Amino acid sequence: MPRRRRTRLVLIFLLPELALILSFVLVPIIGTFIISFKTSHGYGVGNYYSVITERSPDRALVIPENIIKAQPPPWGALVHNIIWVAIHVPVVVFLGLTLAYLLRDVVGSSIVKSIMFLGMVIPMVVGGLLIRFMFDSDLGVIPVFLRELGIKSLAHTWTNYPQTALIALILGSVWLWTGFSLTVYAAALESLPKSYIEAARVDGASDFQIFFKVVFPLVKHATIIVVVMTMLWDLKIFDIVFVSTRGGPGGATNVMALVMYNYFARALDYGKSAATAVILALISLIPGIWFIRRVVRPSAEKR
Amino acid sequence: MARVFLENIVKRFGKVVAVDHINLEVHDKEFLVLLGPSGCGKTTTLRIIAGLEFPDEGRVYIDDKDVTDLEPKDRDVAMVFQNYALYPHLTVRDNIAFPLMIRRKQLGLTREEIYRRVLDVAKLLRIEELLDRKPGQLSGGQQQRVALARALIRRPKVWLMDEPLSNLDALLRLQMRAELKRLQREIGITTIYVTHDQAEAMSMADRIAVMNHGRIVQVGTPDDIYFRPRHVFVATFIGAPPMNIIRCITVLKNDKLYLSCPGMEREIPRGITKYLRGDMEILLGIRPEFVDVYKEPKPGAIRAKILVVEPQGSELILNLNISPESGEETIIKVKTRALRRYSPGEIVYLEPDWTRVSLFDAKTGKAIA
Repeated sequence: MPRRRRTRLVLIFLLPELALILSFVLVPIIGTFIISFKTSHGYGVGNYYSVITERSPDRALVIPENIIKAQPPPWGALVHNIIWVAIHVPVVVFLGLTLAYLLRDVVGSSIVKSIMFLGMVIPMVVGGLLIRFMFDSDLGVIPVFLRELGIKSLAHTWTNYPQTALIALILGSVWLWTGFSLTVYAAALESLPKSYIEAARVDGASDFQIFFKVVFPLVKHATIIVVVMTMLWDLKIFDIVFVSTRGGPGGATNVMALVMYNYFARALDYGKSAATAVILALISLIPGIWFIRRVVRPSAEKR
Repeated sequence: MARVFLENIVKRFGKVVAVDHINLEVHDKEFLVLLGPSGCGKTTTLRIIAGLEFPDEGRVYIDDKDVTDLEPKDRDVAMVFQNYALYPHLTVRDNIAFPLMIRRKQLGLTREEIYRRVLDVAKLLRIEELLDRKPGQLSGGQQQRVALARALIRRPKVWLMDEPLSNLDALLRLQMRAELKRLQREIGITTIYVTHDQAEAMSMADRIAVMNHGRIVQVGTPDDIYFRPRHVFVATFIGAPPMNIIRCITVLKNDKLYLSCPGMEREIPRGITKYLRGDMEILLGIRPEFVDVYKEPKPGAIRAKILVVEPQGSELILNLNISPESGEETIIKVKTRALRRYSPGEIVYLEPDWTRVSLFDAKTGKAIA
């Protein structure tokens, strides 16, 4: 086929997609960007300034230490997101890989895996509600369990107290999200030739060494996927917080997406809402770009 | 210095008996090949010696020490896997060093000592310039050598190899065959080698154990296996093309035993008549290599019609019907030097080397005498 005709053909096939991307992805992004710079007196960075320096607990991204009079939390939505990532990512990686590794040759493991994956299947609003139930002092499995153990101080409704609300949601998100990690790792382990582990066994490696020196490095690809996807999920987390605590009590579980929503739906301040959205998007781009560089592009080049 | 001894090994997977009462002794410094078709239990046997599988019955001894219940790491064996099992995240140097590195503390070795030993082994296998590469950057043959180096570095008692050459292309396989054999002899390490490739087994082994359906059918030197098969399975598994098997009947005439086969009848030599009676079903085995082909009639020769001619370069394989007169076809293959031209439909006369034929009991498949 002549080169010119081929180019034209490629363009014809690409055109519908490009039109869709343009109208439903690029235009809204650019629109949000423009709105974020629009203030009551012309264009400027005013929205960003006020969003970042906001101090009220239900909207603040970061609350400086000297303002927090009582015991924290709240620390501010951005800090909460970062704490979320810092706890959630390692726990999910560890649980997912360990469970996948332990369950790999067990009879009936697919049933366990299916149950674990249920957390991914149920709508997140339902998940959020379930988390609230789970940590309820009368109904919840965790407070009841702790009471039986004699730990009375933690046998309350976790989501009602600023000290425990955030950790309750993070633990709940572990429960919802481990199924994803487990599934990715199980697939990665499945594709790993058995001989890798057997060779290490013959060579004299202990189970501990096999796990950390052989299995963990060999499933690095899966780890990258799990880490990045979990980070992105944690950064844009909204639904489970919204239905379980609405960011409360006293802003103790506030997150970026909720701040954005509060500006948008409660304060009807679209400029600040857009500014928050842009900040959130920029932060999410860091793991996103890293992921594309590390995983998406190299494999595309191989082809 | 190591001998390996298997005593009455049985291994079942569910209802399938993978290994069925195997007894085998591997001598010190011997190159023993476990040969058989896929599913015959040879790999399972090897894995039992390695400790990757545990037998349901029987004992495994290495140097008179009962290792049946020991973990692989406590047996002092090294294994080369079919896919080499090189870790893609480690360099060649670290791959070879791996068995020592993970036991560095127990062995009391420093990193420098380990890397020095890696270099020694790498030199032996001529891969020292590859040490800084990752396995993904190596060719199949190079990966093979790295896997061998990793199996050598610990100076194990026994080398176990599971079809290590089967992932290489044909030419490289021929080359590695000789090299592996040379290396094994140089180091003097007891080696148990699993393969389904009879040519590989014949060319490398000191002794071959032919396996079928979980049992060892015959153990012997390559010569034994080739010239004196103890079972019709061995006869038909070894050789390219394998031994021709012709179904015959013994006939008692005038106090003499005759072998009556399609297209021929022949007196049975006195030496083995004591094992035979009249009216027995016998399988006559004739190697394609041990038949002379004549274009002219010859007394005692078998009349045969050429069906297909397969040229092989210096040799020809003739597919012949040795009972063209009767309605049925009895087809045998004959290998002959490509000195004359043959064409399909032509009648030729065959004279087998009767001193080299084998007789098998048709019922049990076992060799007679």
